[in-house]
Amino acid sequence: MNVEARKSDLEIIDRYVGQPSQLPRGLRDRIEQRWGEPVVLYGLADLDAGLRLARTWVVLGPAEIAVVRETGSAGTNGDSERGVPAVESFEISTFPRSRVEQVESRPGLSCHVLTLLAEPDEPPLAVLRFTNRQRQAMENIQFTLEQALEGLEVPVTDADAEYVEGLAKPVRDAQALVAKRRFTVLWRLLGYLKPYRRNVTIGMGAASLLTVFTLIPPYLTGYLIDEVIEPAQSGALPLERASTIAWIAVGAMAVIYVLRQLSNFVRLRLMAVLGENVARDLRTELFEHMQTLSLSFFGRKKTGSLITRVSSDTDRLWDFLAFGVVDVSLSLITLLGLGVVLMYLDWRLGVVMTLPVPFLIWAIAWHGRRMNEIFLRAWRKWSYVTDLLSDTIPGMRVVKAFHQESREAKRFNYRNYDVAAEFNAVHAIWTTFWPILMVGVHSMILLVWVFALPRLLGTSSLPELSPGTFVAFLLYMTMFVGPIEIIGQVARIMNRATTSAHRVFEILDTRAEIVDVPEPTRLEPVQGRVTFDHVTFGYDGVRQVIRAMSFDVQPGEMIGLVGPSGGGKTTVINLIARFYEATGGSVRIDGVDVKQLDTGHTRQQIGMVLQDPYLFHGTILENIRYGQPDAAVDRVVAAAQAANAHDFICKTAHGYDTMVGERGQTLSGGERQRISIARAILHDPRILILDEATSSVDTETEWHIQEALERLIAGRTVFAIAHRLSTLTRASRLFVIEDGRIKEQGTHATLLANENGTYRRLHDMQVDLQAAV
Amino acid sequence: MVISSERREHRTVVEPAPRRPSSEDTSGLRLERRAGGQLVAARGGQTQTVKVCRCFPWSEPGRFVSLRDSEEEEFALVTDPSDLDEDSRQALEAALVEAGFVLEIEVIHNVEEEIEIRCWQVRTAQGERAFQTPRDEWPREVPGGGLLIRDVAGDLFCIRDPDALDRDSQRHLWAFID
Repeated sequence: MNVEARKSDLEIIDRYVGQPSQLPRGLRDRIEQRWGEPVVLYGLADLDAGLRLARTWVVLGPAEIAVVRETGSAGTNGDSERGVPAVESFEISTFPRSRVEQVESRPGLSCHVLTLLAEPDEPPLAVLRFTNRQRQAMENIQFTLEQALEGLEVPVTDADAEYVEGLAKPVRDAQALVAKRRFTVLWRLLGYLKPYRRNVTIGMGAASLLTVFTLIPPYLTGYLIDEVIEPAQSGALPLERASTIAWIAVGAMAVIYVLRQLSNFVRLRLMAVLGENVARDLRTELFEHMQTLSLSFFGRKKTGSLITRVSSDTDRLWDFLAFGVVDVSLSLITLLGLGVVLMYLDWRLGVVMTLPVPFLIWAIAWHGRRMNEIFLRAWRKWSYVTDLLSDTIPGMRVVKAFHQESREAKRFNYRNYDVAAEFNAVHAIWTTFWPILMVGVHSMILLVWVFALPRLLGTSSLPELSPGTFVAFLLYMTMFVGPIEIIGQVARIMNRATTSAHRVFEILDTRAEIVDVPEPTRLEPVQGRVTFDHVTFGYDGVRQVIRAMSFDVQPGEMIGLVGPSGGGKTTVINLIARFYEATGGSVRIDGVDVKQLDTGHTRQQIGMVLQDPYLFHGTILENIRYGQPDAAVDRVVAAAQAANAHDFICKTAHGYDTMVGERGQTLSGGERQRISIARAILHDPRILILDEATSSVDTETEWHIQEALERLIAGRTVFAIAHRLSTLTRASRLFVIEDGRIKEQGTHATLLANENGTYRRLHDMQVDLQAAV
Repeated sequence: MVISSERREHRTVVEPAPRRPSSEDTSGLRLERRAGGQLVAARGGQTQTVKVCRCFPWSEPGRFVSLRDSEEEEFALVTDPSDLDEDSRQALEAALVEAGFVLEIEVIHNVEEEIEIRCWQVRTAQGERAFQTPRDEWPREVPGGGLLIRDVAGDLFCIRDPDALDRDSQRHLWAFID
């Protein structure tokens, strides 16, 4: 685990898990001092015998086990319990590992029990109860002890890392980054504007001008009334001069309106384009980065979630960058400008107008929070509707077969009405809130009238108010609502943007687990020798799915991998293709460790035909050419002929130009398989992997595929996984893989000769099964 | 011929297993709980350490308990524990307490939505706990009444009676119940 990943996991534990991120230092020192040996592994059993949350540390050494009960705290959560208790509050009992005769585990819903047993007539050495949260760390201990009972050693280099990994993984898999520091995320997002600095400056400048131009017309209106119209009506200003000034003012207003819309045009155009460019940059960066990530990443994340990040999250960021940033900034500027202008015109009325503004902003923010809560409930109900749709539409055949149409319709109607009722509740709230808010705004206007009228009529002791100033006031008042609305929704706008940015950055911050060395070796040409030298591998924790496996396969050999499910066959081919990295030993191709090889170049020399062949949306021609986009069509036809695919392709109306649809759904399983074989033949790999290539097709199709495969494997190193052993009779050697090890190996004949062997047993079972059918 | 697992295939073809009583036949079944909490089942001369598995943990928690040996084969299916003798029944019930254990929420201090997860701060009957659920997963109603929440690690939290929670807890729960 690299330093960054470890730091991130510690942050996750600190924020979410609420239990110590390592074995208390003082306790560890004390145990190691007592043993004179280092701690190998440890875990926390967080339930006591009465099934209350408690803390019992289980510490494994090379020769000893310590069971440490914390007596100073009662639970595993809460800030007060995060601190490390004093050494004195631990009750430590230790016993030699050699006393453990049996390890027994009893899984439960949320309580697992691990019992360490001594001799049958002795009481258990330890009974440890723990929740699922502690499971990986405790399973590490269980696995290590079980291996020791079989005389095998499990190499563990860092006890802290294993504990941290097990504890943080469930949270990390759900949400990889700790969600905090919203402004940091926002700042990072704004960093994407850097390449477009010029456009940002012009866009913001245009937006500022827009604000200024918006503020001028009401001022001019007031001026016209007070300085031109009224004096002209009272005869204080000659009509001719008044008329000239008035027309100039109207002309100025016309110019201002034009400039205002021009500024608006510049702002909208530049910021929209800029937002789109940033969203495009993010999408490119995201997709390119995804191509570098390891298969394990795609195993952890749902496809739908990844698609959403590239599509709707970046779209939401466009909206924020193009309009959100500007709208929020401008609203602040407008409110400030309005406040200043109003105070300048008449500070008394200005105070009446501006004092309620914070309250209005608070009311809108409160409404936003309330809407969030209600939306959460509506969203839950909405998910029930979509769940039912995604359940019943693909399963329509079953619905009809069991004649359950009316039941499904009833179920749908119930949920549909339920969600509609929820959304009606949402509508009831916002349709009530906004009119009430507008009543508030109107009250402000009325209040201004109440304060202004006596001054306008000259009945107040306060200085008189000119009609022009008052009209300007009224016009400015209408401008308050928009910015207040935006400022009130700032939290929601920021929340949406940071959420999307966080989801995007989570992918961008995921580091590829398989990275080439700075100057990787390129094997030219690849011969096809594959060597496993004491290879060990595990997906999670210390549990190994491949255990010290060694073999040496010569170029051109065909190796059949057989054995029970979960034995490790697929993991072997994943390691050859370097989809995963061996945790111990080395995988070599032509004598060079795959870690030293140029992965991309090496994978070009590896072909795969899988049980469920994956075809992309496109023509048959494009699919066959997928690995060799420039291959000549005659080579494509030759590959299809060799794959027994040419005939059925020619029978289709559009031949090789037939669109196969998403995932090749327009073709049968056998047809897809033969296209994937043609793809592999054209790819011409030195090493070929066949993973259950014929298991999901009928007998006749299998015959066609088998025939095609025989052409494909000629002269290549082949690793073939098959449950139907009859398909592997031509293999040079067969490896029987069970429990992560090669249990037996040899030719079909030699393995059959071993009457007590696994291969013989599997073979006899299949023969009998066929006879029974 | 129906073959449901590899182990059974092996047993059927290679060496037929000695016929043992039907797993649903609980007459003569005796259960005993050992010091470490292991449940030992004896019947017809066979003795096995078994694990208990409720077939219907929520809809029929008191009936249909499958006793499974270390190979995960069913040793016996107890359709109704009251058919057992008193000692065996008590041993079974004690084993079920552990196997069916879930944390019971008494008070909800806070529920906070984050990017992909929902963070819960609760007090359970077993102690204080903070846990997280994926945002697109909701508490589900269980047939016997109450709610069940599954966290990202797989731990289950139940709320036996949401109406009995205090007002603040109910407010936090409002969006998740009907």
